[in-house]
Amino acid sequence: MKRQFAGLSMLLLFLLVLPVYAGAPLDTVQADVNKVLDVLRDKTLNNEMKKEKLRVLYGQMFDEGELSRRSLGLNWRKLNPAQQQEFIHLYREVLEKAYIDKILAYTNEKIVFTKETMLSTDQAEVQTKIITSSKEIPIFYRVILKDGAWKVYDVFVENVSLAMNYRSQFNSLLAKNTPEQLLEILRKKVKGQ
Amino acid sequence: MDLFGHMSLQEEITNLFPMNLTSSGNNYGEGMQIMKRLSFWVWLFFFLTGGCAHRPDPVPSLSSSLASFQPRQFMVASNSEQIALVLPETLARSGNGSGDDEGNLNRVPEERMATTADPLESFQSSPEPPEKAGSEKTESKGDLQDEKEAGEEKEVTIADPLEPFNRAMFQFNDKLYFWALKPVVRGYNEVIPEPARISVQNFFINLAFPIRFVSRLLQADFSGAAAEFGRFVVNTIWGVGGLFDPSSSRQLNIPKGDADLGQTLGVYGLGQGFYLVWPILGPSSARDSAGLVGNYFLYPVSYIPPLYASFGVRAYEEVNNTSLRIGDYESLKEAAIDPYVALRDAYAQYRQKKIEARKGKSEPPKPGGVR
Repeated sequence: MKRQFAGLSMLLLFLLVLPVYAGAPLDTVQADVNKVLDVLRDKTLNNEMKKEKLRVLYGQMFDEGELSRRSLGLNWRKLNPAQQQEFIHLYREVLEKAYIDKILAYTNEKIVFTKETMLSTDQAEVQTKIITSSKEIPIFYRVILKDGAWKVYDVFVENVSLAMNYRSQFNSLLAKNTPEQLLEILRKKVKGQ
Repeated sequence: MDLFGHMSLQEEITNLFPMNLTSSGNNYGEGMQIMKRLSFWVWLFFFLTGGCAHRPDPVPSLSSSLASFQPRQFMVASNSEQIALVLPETLARSGNGSGDDEGNLNRVPEERMATTADPLESFQSSPEPPEKAGSEKTESKGDLQDEKEAGEEKEVTIADPLEPFNRAMFQFNDKLYFWALKPVVRGYNEVIPEPARISVQNFFINLAFPIRFVSRLLQADFSGAAAEFGRFVVNTIWGVGGLFDPSSSRQLNIPKGDADLGQTLGVYGLGQGFYLVWPILGPSSARDSAGLVGNYFLYPVSYIPPLYASFGVRAYEEVNNTSLRIGDYESLKEAAIDPYVALRDAYAQYRQKKIEARKGKSEPPKPGGVR
């Protein structure tokens, strides 16, 4: 009787645990980053082609909705669904504009995947380091399990959260502006420069 | 004298007893070896399964159950009350799947974390943010989804009652950077190759050893202080006065760290106070400004005889440091929608995280399995 119970509880444990290991967070992020690096190292592609490929990879790697929601925090609810969709779109472009040159400037710096920490059953942090000639830059990815896949919803560069950094800016803007005005600011930001 | 009898006895002893001894010794030795081998495998098994909870490994069941439970506790273990709070949450997550309850339970410990992390901070914040927080709380009662979102991250906020002054100083520093520092740094980069600039940076980092050493001691982080001391000795002697960094070589690998007095005050539990942008020195807070004064006196460069020479050396140090991260400020500015707020938030987050990491360090070691 006791043994049966033990066997049952073991089975239960396996059942509970297996979905979590559908794809280990660190492996997923590592695979995604390697795909990005493959594109960046590919000398047959020009920058435009690289950008095109990276956009596709970005969509696979990131959970844009989650990132956008977290970047707006409580203000997310102040946007109506159409505005939310436009925000997701504009936010992606803002991020692309901000970081694509940095990413394309990659020159074989070493990226080390140091560890993974489960924050809860469906969220994890994957810690990585970029090692350049003069310094090491810690980059942590926060990933969330959705529909059996781990997707990035926040990136911490030198311990500074991307989503939180933008949230502080959006918060201060939305304190004085309406959501529509915020979108207008973003449209200008995307078009300009 | 019964010589024969004695002999026979001795023979008996040598024949039987020593034999017995050696044979039993052999048995014992073998047994030991088997035991050792066995314990090695047991140890290996536990190492593989439990030792690296952060890393996926061949035995998924044990490690992942560890991984899903332990780090959570590890992160909040600073307060025993919070551990108790984590448990119902994890139970709720694995137990019932109803999303609303989950979000609700989820919110509690994380909100606690945010408020207990820095008691002074919330106290010292400007009149505007608490008002906001209050309204957020009442509003969010109706919407659990949003509540969950807001509770996911520890929100690091810094009060900014002097915003107009700070913005003016930000503008001033911005212009100083683009009009003065950057052109100088560009010229400097043309003349001095990167390895030399890295060496100069190493030299100044090594020279600032007293700041880190004293801060670590004050934080009661004695192993950290010892590591700093080791780095200083090694880099000063074998690194030619600090120009090179043999401590970071693969053989020695003494961890690099930074510590300063503002951080130390933070470890003591003092909140950031309010945001403060100094001309030339840049972003700071009330607390870190107090730290800066102490850092000044712990930095040997401050004692170079005429004051202007000391400032000159510091200016050169700044030029050299900037030369190694030219473009960082530009990209931060470019990525930002409001650069002033972006920098303020980055500063607050960066300092806060460092302090949290230090607070974790000075506490007794965490339960095994999580490194």
